[in-house]
Amino acid sequence: MTYDPMSPSQHALARGVFGGLALFAIWELAARLFDLPSYILPAVSEIIARFWTARAVLGEAAAYTLGEALAGYLLGGAIGVALALAVTLVPQLRKVIVPAATAVNSVPVVAFSPLILLWFGMGVSSKIVMVAVAVSFTMFVSALAGFDRVDERSVNLMRSFGASRAAILWKLRLPTALPLILSGMRLSTVRSLIVAIVTEMLGAYGGLGWVIYQAVIVIDFVQVWAAIFVASIASLGFFAVVSFLERRLVFWR
Amino acid sequence: MNMPMTYPSTMEPAMTPADEPILDLRKLSKTFGEVQALDGVDLTVQPGEFVTVVGPSGCGKSTLFNIVSGLEEPDNGSVLRFEGQSVHAKHLLGRVSFMPQRDLLLAWRNVIDNAILPLEIEGANKAEARAEAQRMLPEFGLAGFADKYPHELSGGMRQRVALMRTFMFKRDLLLLDEPFGALDALTRTMMQRWLLEVWQKHKRTVLFITHDVDEAIFLGDKVLVMTARPGAIKLARTVDLPRPRSADLVTSPEFISLKRELLDAIEEESMKTFGPASH
Repeated sequence: MTYDPMSPSQHALARGVFGGLALFAIWELAARLFDLPSYILPAVSEIIARFWTARAVLGEAAAYTLGEALAGYLLGGAIGVALALAVTLVPQLRKVIVPAATAVNSVPVVAFSPLILLWFGMGVSSKIVMVAVAVSFTMFVSALAGFDRVDERSVNLMRSFGASRAAILWKLRLPTALPLILSGMRLSTVRSLIVAIVTEMLGAYGGLGWVIYQAVIVIDFVQVWAAIFVASIASLGFFAVVSFLERRLVFWR
Repeated sequence: MNMPMTYPSTMEPAMTPADEPILDLRKLSKTFGEVQALDGVDLTVQPGEFVTVVGPSGCGKSTLFNIVSGLEEPDNGSVLRFEGQSVHAKHLLGRVSFMPQRDLLLAWRNVIDNAILPLEIEGANKAEARAEAQRMLPEFGLAGFADKYPHELSGGMRQRVALMRTFMFKRDLLLLDEPFGALDALTRTMMQRWLLEVWQKHKRTVLFITHDVDEAIFLGDKVLVMTARPGAIKLARTVDLPRPRSADLVTSPEFISLKRELLDAIEEESMKTFGPASH
């Protein structure tokens, strides 16, 4: 018998860390062995060294991008859930809103970016709007699926207790939809950062996308990689926080 | 076979103003589009009475309950009287305790918080409601399960939580729609005996739907048999069996003869639904 102090999730984490380290080791070896120029593939050690020297710029850019992504994420989440709620409470709206939302979503959001930059300028508001557009559709679909899971018989039971529409919404509809709303929120985390960064690359005054764009212009590929690493860490962190909240809030599954 | 076809001939003793029926339905009909679910249901329930309703499947029992619980309006011309007053069905919302077939417990609420749901909707003080529910747990066989969530409970326990929720909503009339339909036979018998105890203690009026004739006789002061769709009351029988009722009652001659009579009536109605086989 062996004593195992780690839980299954800790095992998964350990495997992930090990995989990442192994990848970095191979990368480092390859870069050094083949003496690759840093504009093809810089060594990991070089990128990590850059983390340190450029920490002020990268940290500021990460905060800038995360701020935009988070604002757009919350705004888009609120819009998506509100639309799903409207469709649930006023069924006639379904035939109007669902096709309109699908039409908007059938084009990649990035296609709207020139217009959004034109309307909202090069500052943070255009990024927030882009993220909100991207997130709101995902959230609309998730939340609608959640509200559709409400059992009509439960609604009737609450009515028989004399419940108002507001009480039914608060005590039945929202909690029933919560698991799907939160899984939509979890999936939207990564998407919100991607859209923020891509939009920054098309025109911005700051942020990770802007750092990447500037670094490409001056052919500083170590900086590009450093910014990509930071973006990846920010994205994973955001995902982890929302996953944690999801497990806490949806404790009954 | 010779069989009484109408209900009023076997009515209760003459009413005095003091024991006005709590529920009085006359010529109650309900049509959904082209389908007539109920066609002239006449039914009275006296305060404190335990009335059971049996009938072939699809006879409109659930439609009847949806009307009495206030969820659906009957057709025009139907008479619906509650506690001596003529009312619209919607006025019954929040005035009768309705328990549907499924337990419909909320997954995110523990036993106590599921039980106090109707009190919470009424705007009662949560702490007081929880304390009251806590006191009722042993009686419902749920002692020690206050903090459990529905997915941690067996089917019988979930049903008891749902019943407790129904009892906590303190209304004089309880509507129970096949509450034990999904339980295994043994659990079911236990639950029936237990329900009678709780009913006698709480002195409530019960209208109970089932498709099990044994259950209908064992529980009821009065058994009503419904016709095939469109539903109406085909037969009403008072159950003159002593209370408290014990398990061996079901083998007594009185029980058997009543059961035979009721089964014949149901059989005749089921044949209408499934078409004439030979005659």
